[in-house]
Amino acid sequence: MAAVALKNQLNAHIASMFAAGFLDKQFQELQMLQDDGSSPGFVSEVVGLFIDDAEKITGLIAGLLDQPVVDFDKVDALVHQLKGSSASVGAQRVKLSCEQFHSYYEAKNRDGCVMALALLRNEFYDSRSKFQTMFQLEQQIEACS
Amino acid sequence: MVSNAQGSPVKAFIVEDIRVCTFVLSAMLRMFNCEIVVANNGKEALDFFLEGKKFDIVLCDKNMPIMSGPEAVKKIRALGETDVMIVGVSADENAMEAFMSAGADVFVDKPMKIETLETMIQEVMNKKNAMI
Repeated sequence: MAAVALKNQLNAHIASMFAAGFLDKQFQELQMLQDDGSSPGFVSEVVGLFIDDAEKITGLIAGLLDQPVVDFDKVDALVHQLKGSSASVGAQRVKLSCEQFHSYYEAKNRDGCVMALALLRNEFYDSRSKFQTMFQLEQQIEACS
Repeated sequence: MVSNAQGSPVKAFIVEDIRVCTFVLSAMLRMFNCEIVVANNGKEALDFFLEGKKFDIVLCDKNMPIMSGPEAVKKIRALGETDVMIVGVSADENAMEAFMSAGADVFVDKPMKIETLETMIQEVMNKKNAMI
């Protein structure tokens, strides 16, 4: 009974993530890869990689923007990496934040980039929190089984 | 479902610098029992071909450090590697033109869908089986 209730809670949580735009269809591709049976912890593993990369990349971008002379080419490369990483796991809000960042580093606008980074970080922290709740529920379900 | 009457796995080469993308693409290729090799940029990819390594399909990102995907594709084709299916994979607006003019066979938007990959793998398998 507890497992059923938790599964319902998990499904509702994932549905709400899709409805609020945290996830897009790419996340369903990851679920298909997991359901294929070959890698039971696949989704949590790849999302874990994304979270690690995002934390590292946002830190590096902040460091670059703090320099007296900003290397906008490096900022570009890092945002590009994060965009690719977030798109691969279906983290839609983070991906869209990366796209919005683009115009500021193209214009070599430091203040704009600082603002865009703050927005990107907020979207990432919110997404990370949602993913963490998802994986906590999965662990609780597994503990019940 | 991908079918291969002859049983030899498809040799897939991922050329990608973003590890999450590589991780997901590798998982997709494993669904189709592909052998997988990974290079992290265009120069590494070219080096594999210069060493005489052979692949059935190359899945190549566009923007990478040291050497871009389209530049690597152009150089790989210039080596005489005309049989291998080369797939350009990118979310960039101008990527398709860059890859196709470099000599790629196909361009696919990133992130790639399982269904799209399945179609390409089946095509590669059909070609391999026809050559036996």
